Amino acid sequence: MTSQLLAGIRAIDMTEVWAGPMGTSLLGDLGADVIRLESFPRPPAISRPLREGNAVPGDGPPYERAGSHHMANRNKRNIAVNIRNEEGAEVVRRLVATVDVLVEGYSAGTIEGLGLGWEQLHAINPRLVMVSMPGWGVEGPYRGYATLGSGLDATLGHMVVRGYPDGPPDQVPVMYHTDATGAVGLVTAVVAGLLRREETGEGCFIDMSQAEAFAWHLPALQAEWTMNGRVPGRLGNVDPHVVPHGCYLAAGGEAGAVAWVTIAAENDAQWAGVARAAGHAEWAEAPHPWATVTGRLRARADIDAALAAYAASGTAEEIATNVAEAGGIAAPVIYHIGLMTSPQIAHREWLQTVTHRYAGTQTLGGFLWRIEPDAPSWDLACGLVGEHNVEILQGLGYSAEQVAALLERGAIGDRYGAR
Amino acid sequence: MAQPFSGVRVVEVGGTVAAAGATKGLSDYGATVTVVEPGAGDEVRRLGPFPGDRPHLDRGAFHLALNTGKRSVVLDHTSPSGLEVLVALAAESDLVLLHLPPEEARRVLDAIARLDDSGPTTVTLAVHGVDGPFAGRQENDLTLFAWSNRMFRHSFDGQEPLRYSAQVATLQWASTATAVAAAAIWGRRHDGVRRAIDVGGVESLAGNVDNWFVPWSFTGADTPRPAGLSRVAYPAGLLRATDGYVSFFAANEPFFSRLCKGIGHPEFATDPRFTDPAQKPAHFDEFMGHIREYLATRTRNEVFLDLQSHGVMVAPVLDVAESFEDAQVVARGSFVRVQQPGVGEHTLAGAPFRLEGAWSLAPAPALGEHTFEVLSELGYSADEQIALFRAGVAG
Repeated sequence: MTSQLLAGIRAIDMTEVWAGPMGTSLLGDLGADVIRLESFPRPPAISRPLREGNAVPGDGPPYERAGSHHMANRNKRNIAVNIRNEEGAEVVRRLVATVDVLVEGYSAGTIEGLGLGWEQLHAINPRLVMVSMPGWGVEGPYRGYATLGSGLDATLGHMVVRGYPDGPPDQVPVMYHTDATGAVGLVTAVVAGLLRREETGEGCFIDMSQAEAFAWHLPALQAEWTMNGRVPGRLGNVDPHVVPHGCYLAAGGEAGAVAWVTIAAENDAQWAGVARAAGHAEWAEAPHPWATVTGRLRARADIDAALAAYAASGTAEEIATNVAEAGGIAAPVIYHIGLMTSPQIAHREWLQTVTHRYAGTQTLGGFLWRIEPDAPSWDLACGLVGEHNVEILQGLGYSAEQVAALLERGAIGDRYGAR
Repeated sequence: MAQPFSGVRVVEVGGTVAAAGATKGLSDYGATVTVVEPGAGDEVRRLGPFPGDRPHLDRGAFHLALNTGKRSVVLDHTSPSGLEVLVALAAESDLVLLHLPPEEARRVLDAIARLDDSGPTTVTLAVHGVDGPFAGRQENDLTLFAWSNRMFRHSFDGQEPLRYSAQVATLQWASTATAVAAAAIWGRRHDGVRRAIDVGGVESLAGNVDNWFVPWSFTGADTPRPAGLSRVAYPAGLLRATDGYVSFFAANEPFFSRLCKGIGHPEFATDPRFTDPAQKPAHFDEFMGHIREYLATRTRNEVFLDLQSHGVMVAPVLDVAESFEDAQVVARGSFVRVQQPGVGEHTLAGAPFRLEGAWSLAPAPALGEHTFEVLSELGYSADEQIALFRAGVAG
């Protein structure tokens, strides 16, 4: 049995890249019946590659076998609709009449332009909770503008503090973090909308700017300016008030890969753990100058050098384990295989083994939370394009012949490219 | 109209950035959140910056931002007397969210579990989850990030992996807990089931929006860590306008065609030098020359407005001071001002989502500001309150 927290709630997912698809999969994990209304005939820009690229080898089209969208499109049924076609738009309207929630992530104004905006959909279903989640929000001078998470990071002032302190200003590592924030923020927004509907008996509209959904995660950056008039630059891994707080190169890791380990001590007790692990218990004992918070703050470079030497004496895993067991803070900077080999991840049975018609049996990241007594489960693997067209349209009253005719006329689809 | 979580009573124990961040979203949307903290004040109160760089338990940036509208109760829940009060508070609540060292967490959870079926739903935060070989380890924002399969990707090949910025990983974990807590509040109303929820920090990050583990798991292929501008898929990355950088993401169709039109060279969209994957890398410098020519006479904002009008995904790279002046931020009122006792007028990020009448922001509480008000609500007499105070349990 999957989680039942949102049992009985039916939702439509009309989103494209990451935040929306992931967020609506989370609704599915929580027990909602989620219908992904897939873009057709143009495939979603990033999640459905038409070339082999990163697709796992196998039968069927490459856009069904590429890994990236499998995680963010679980626990949904799939219907592929050409919403620019009048018959397709009619499918959307009939579907909207039967659901509680609709989430859309097009550029602000796009859905209104298609005659499927809040006013129209609210008229069809007065109890609808609708969330629009464009990058910079529905209203405002940037209405209609297009962006990915990187653009939000840029305008929020976060991009200028990421990157190497001494590195070129035009080189900043890639991240997709605002999408992760938008995904979980969406779940809270949907619940708030449902609670509002319960109180008033009426549906409601939610304007969720993905920039605003992330802005509150940056209080330190913002307060540097608003409180103290400072514009921070790049700090890398440094915390101005905590030493040590860094990332160090360890000895060769798995298969000779470069391996890094993070080490930190926020107080004297944790520092004593780091010192013991490094074989230098005296670093944490008076009168050693590093034994105190202020002493460590004044000796940042020397301590970093000492810990760099210690880190090179073992693999990242070994160093992290030694420090952690001695009572300090440390972690290896894990990548892929670290999730596969972690005894903690294994103990938690976190990774999910999922079988998909074309991608075969694959290992995917697990759920964001554990719930007792009704744990989430991966009931539906990523839907194929239009996989549930027939069952969903028949549920709306379309006959089998009508569904076939819609497919023939391109109002709905079951594949990308020529038939 | 009431706020969505109006009438919902939440208790928060632990006082970390993760715990405070997790209940903020409930508090600002109407829940009554009571924070139980030690006399020395929660960890979240100790994080700066502070006004004028003078540390103060009631004035730290994270406390002011994350404890909005909450009530502060000073209570030593590690003593039997304090735990009794905490359990009494929990019994009157819908949800208890805690982030404590494992043994303390177990003690509180066991005490709450002894309440009858009307007891609260619990949401427990632990970096590695509540059980397993790593469950007892001490971690912080940096190591949470290192464990999450994200830090390694936030680097250039061969160079040190980097965190994003302070507490961003932890607040993502917090937002994840808010989401499931909200859903649990809804679920309980509809099925009456009392639930125990466990939100692991590493899992909350590694399981959300991953463009590396899953492709690798599927195909065994590593996603390369790009350093600088890609000469294969371009234009993508930061390019200089007259007054700073603009972030571009226009390597793929339909954005590439729109970009070519936007910079006055629509013919490039069908030119095999720039569209044939086999030829494109060899013509990187030539294409960049044309973009740089376009950028050489325009500010970030001019580039942004011009290319967005062609449907190209670009954005100006702003520093934090500039971000407050961004036209969209100003027009929407994305930041709001709060009158904070002891601090004065303070600026904070506004609603993470906009639902009419749903969101409000009240100042963060002083340490222990509501202790005796809450004890009175729970029915403790004046003498009992004085006894708890004198014994060092409440303050």
